[in-house]
Amino acid sequence: MIELKNISITLNDNVILDDVTLSIEMGMNTIILGPSGAGKSSILKIILGLWKPDNGEIIFEGKNVCKMTDDEILQLRKKVGIVFQGNALFDSLTVAENILYFLPDKKKLSENEPKYKIEELLSFVNLSGTENLYPEELSGGMKKRVAIARALAFNPQVILFDEPTTGLDPINTESVLELIEKLKQNGTTSVIVTHILDDAIEVGDNFIVINEGKIVEAGSLEKILRSKNPFVKEFFKRFIEENHNPFIRISKEVNK
Amino acid sequence: MTRFQKMIFGLQEFSLLIKDIFAHFGSVKDNWTETIQEMYLIGTKSFFLIFLGGLFTGIILAIETGHQLETFGATAWIAKTVSLGMVRELGPVITGLLLAARTGAKNTSELGAMQLSEQIDALRAFGASPVEKLVIPRTIAALVMFLPLTLIADIVGILGGMLVSNQTFHSDISVFWNTAVTSLKMKDLFVGFLKPIFFGFFIATISCYFGLTTKGGTTGLGKNTINAVVYSSALILVIDFIFTKVVWELL
Ligand SMILES: Nc1ncnc2c1ncn2[C@@H]1O[C@H](COP(=O)(O)OP(=O)(O)O)[C@@H](O)[C@H]1O
Ligand SMILES: [Mg+2]
Repeated sequence: MIELKNISITLNDNVILDDVTLSIEMGMNTIILGPSGAGKSSILKIILGLWKPDNGEIIFEGKNVCKMTDDEILQLRKKVGIVFQGNALFDSLTVAENILYFLPDKKKLSENEPKYKIEELLSFVNLSGTENLYPEELSGGMKKRVAIARALAFNPQVILFDEPTTGLDPINTESVLELIEKLKQNGTTSVIVTHILDDAIEVGDNFIVINEGKIVEAGSLEKILRSKNPFVKEFFKRFIEENHNPFIRISKEVNK
Repeated sequence: MTRFQKMIFGLQEFSLLIKDIFAHFGSVKDNWTETIQEMYLIGTKSFFLIFLGGLFTGIILAIETGHQLETFGATAWIAKTVSLGMVRELGPVITGLLLAARTGAKNTSELGAMQLSEQIDALRAFGASPVEKLVIPRTIAALVMFLPLTLIADIVGILGGMLVSNQTFHSDISVFWNTAVTSLKMKDLFVGFLKPIFFGFFIATISCYFGLTTKGGTTGLGKNTINAVVYSSALILVIDFIFTKVVWELL
């Protein structure tokens, strides 16, 4: 379990997160939903110890992340992988190098081992044979999958996905969501930040809704849908009320 | 924050970066590939620029002083003026300013783009240190490469001055070269070769600092790149003044 307790952070006089308390269950897909600028990416950066909160604590495996030594932080980051929104691939390195770059003790591995690991990772994300391509030669969906392969390099227990399907076409979106499901079957915990409801509902087990740096609702999908909170109702409107979903509305008209 | 507070805050952050560089200097042994690559980039990509910069500075120095000295019939002094001027002042400063623009802009824009595209966060997220992977290799590359580049500017400058003296003021080439070399004392060489090491250090660290602190998209990147070049150029002139005025008298 990863727990955030009363986390607050202010950057340049901007309140980014305000008394955020949430818990992430292991082995489940937790969705963090919210509009742009709500503070979703900030939560991921705080979990990894990339940002230090002004107040509150993050508990991972019984330890407070804010009080970890540099060495412990390093260990944490091997157990928690991240896929950045813009992928953050190193453009001067090939696909294989992007993944290998972070593998520890790469000198100590035997000649064949890293190559085997790379092949395994790339075949897991359906990108076999792309080892020697550069990021600029890949499509958006392929870049995303390389970023996922890179996040998997250390065999992490938890993977944080920052808007993994934003900007992808429906087919690539589907393949990314399938990967997330496949990871869950392998026992990996995923935390998925998104503002896309369809995708959230497809893979999510637990849901956390955040707005303007505050948690507004958390729990199962049923609990969220039953919420009386005006923001949650507004956010889910297109789902709950048939007439708000243009796709359903138009297809009804077409089939009349 | 007011402008003044921001500046103090920036200085504090910059000092922390420098402290970090010294604390992890030993990590260079794990990052030789990056370091050698940066050295290669500074060396090969700046060579022509420095060559031209040094050559024309030497030529102009010889023409300007030559005309003055000619009125006293003292053209024999051109060699000494060009040689001391190049080695002590103009060689290091011209090289420093050209590299502040070239290497400084390269470092800031590279690291800044990496910051904006979350590549810096990615490095840290996967347990690597941006200071060890990016800043220290660039700092060492500058520390190592600025000296030979300055030396090239010095030599090419003196040779340029020699050609002009020979063509315009009819001085003998071998006499010019002998005078140029023998007028240089240990102290001149020491100061002239110590400067590029300081210049290199500050150009690399300032440009990396502005790269790593980039925010606000492409506009912010442009602003920080300009700042890196402006601040390091200004600092070069200040350090040069300190050397000329203070260090010289202490020696
Ligand atoms: N480095 C930063 N410095 C200052 N403010 C920031 C920084 N990064 C993000 N913010 C601000 O924090 C808020 C939340 O950002 P973020 O967590 O990225 O939101 P989301 O991922 O939900 O879109 C935004 O208002 C954003 O402008
Ligand atoms: Mg975000």
